[in-house]
Amino acid sequence: MSGQVLVFQLLNGIGIGMIYFLLSVGLSMIFGLMRFVNFAHGALYLVAAYTAYVVSVLTGSMLWALLFGPLVAAALAVVAERLLLRHTYAMAHEAQILITFAVALIVQESVILLFDPLAKNVPVPDFLGGIVFLGPFVYPAYRLAVVAVSALVALLLWVALERTRFGAILRAGSESAEMVGLLGINVQRVFLAAFALGGALAGLAGALAAPLRGVEPFMGLEALGIAFVVVVVGGIGSFTGALLGGLLIGVVQSVMSSLWPEGARLMIYGAMALVLLVRPTGLMGRA
Amino acid sequence: MSVETEGVRPLGIGAIGVVIALVALPVILPSVTLASEVVVFSVAALSCIFLLGQVGLLSFGQGLFFGIGAYVSAVLLKEHGVGTLPAIAAGSVVACLGAALLGLLAVRRQGVYFVMLTLAFAQMGYFAMLALRDVTGGENGLTGVPRPPLIAGFGALANSGAVYALLATLAFLAYLFVRRVADSPFGSVLRAIRQNEARAEALGYDIRRFKTAAFALAGLLAGLAGGMHTIFLGFAPPNVIELEMSERLVIMAIIGGTGAPVAAFFGAGFYIVMADVLSALWPRWLMLIGFLLIAIVLFLRGGLWGGIAAALRWARDRRHG
Repeated sequence: MSGQVLVFQLLNGIGIGMIYFLLSVGLSMIFGLMRFVNFAHGALYLVAAYTAYVVSVLTGSMLWALLFGPLVAAALAVVAERLLLRHTYAMAHEAQILITFAVALIVQESVILLFDPLAKNVPVPDFLGGIVFLGPFVYPAYRLAVVAVSALVALLLWVALERTRFGAILRAGSESAEMVGLLGINVQRVFLAAFALGGALAGLAGALAAPLRGVEPFMGLEALGIAFVVVVVGGIGSFTGALLGGLLIGVVQSVMSSLWPEGARLMIYGAMALVLLVRPTGLMGRA
Repeated sequence: MSVETEGVRPLGIGAIGVVIALVALPVILPSVTLASEVVVFSVAALSCIFLLGQVGLLSFGQGLFFGIGAYVSAVLLKEHGVGTLPAIAAGSVVACLGAALLGLLAVRRQGVYFVMLTLAFAQMGYFAMLALRDVTGGENGLTGVPRPPLIAGFGALANSGAVYALLATLAFLAYLFVRRVADSPFGSVLRAIRQNEARAEALGYDIRRFKTAAFALAGLLAGLAGGMHTIFLGFAPPNVIELEMSERLVIMAIIGGTGAPVAAFFGAGFYIVMADVLSALWPRWLMLIGFLLIAIVLFLRGGLWGGIAAALRWARDRRHG
């Protein structure tokens, strides 16, 4: 593999990795906060990607798609939490897994019902359709924009988690939700907010990914698998872990896919199994 | 803690009911093919029900062992001219060994982490299948698998009726096997682990060893079902080892209920017949399965069989009361 191709794949990997980060950080947060495993997390990504598809077909503008994708995903997360998921917090993990898995199935089938099972292309926004010269390299502008947008969102999220009262409550909640409740904070509302935020972030990931990979009804299931890998490798409940895990998995997948495509996926799931066995708290997690 | 010590129960009504149902199935259902499919997936669902019902382990990876059984028996039948029974047996044994090996690793983690490990293993199995294109046929699967006589040229599988008879017999044996294991001292330790892991450990049982053994037995059952599937279809399609297969087996187990081995027949029967009837009417029937799954987890934890058993008890009490 020539240096040119390697740099190209590395850059691609960083872009995909940032999308993986956005996809996974909410899943990680929700698990850290309430020990809740959301098998429907990929469905939020799926819904946002299809929203982006519809919006960009209707308005011809990717910018609106980037706004509406996260909004619809967050709304879906809020509705699901209010109507169904909050009634399962006291249940065993197995019951939560089965219920959220059923929700994912229902969302996936609804998408096929509304559209069809076929993959669709989502156009790259006009003003980002070109290429950018990075020194000696040529690179698609849209992919660069994905990195920029997601880095900005990651920064905002970091500030929100580390420097605001809401962030402090979230972090305290993942230490001990019970204690936060005893301090007079409405924990149910914190949970709802975490679902909304996680949904919006997964939605942004779906909307950003749509022009890169197109949309199809089974992308949610695939995304769920990836998100699990990222969360497990990075460390459950950790912001930095999700960022590192996302970038690591994105780069490995991107570089490997030009060397040995089947092996790329085999490797990332192997990495997940290895981390689970050797260091279940992940790279950045605390014991 | 009361570890049950009642010993082996007589087979009784349950086993007779299963035999009657297995004989009646091809007559009731519109085709023998459909009946065969129900029987194959009953054994696969039995694998999940055994793990969940006896040990309390939720595995999203039973499709992996189903797939191993399917591919191993397909390769033996196609490339090595092995008889039907040895091919199925070899598929089950390889799946059992694979499950023992992965189980040894997986049982080191509990709860959510265990579930995610089984999911990771299932995904690795699928991508390994794609990577081993020369052996597995990659995305095309293994086509044109023959259906030779049972063993050493004896017992020809001349028609779909004979195939059904073989599959139903194997399913009945698998059912008896699970009941026998559940009634053994080994089975009562498994249930003790499910009810209270810390206490079972305090009693001196090596939890990991028991869980690994249970995982291996569940792998054996899933592998058996996989081998039966290859015989049934004459083909090992790549979807036998997909993550979706693991999910389907979990769905069947939950719908049937995890309280008793016989529930596997209800779960698989319901799913397969619904798939057949509804998919013609409304291709998105899986959405209904999703709603049903939620309803069962929230309101009917015993699944279909739990509901039927409760209704039977109620009727009996009314008659005697």
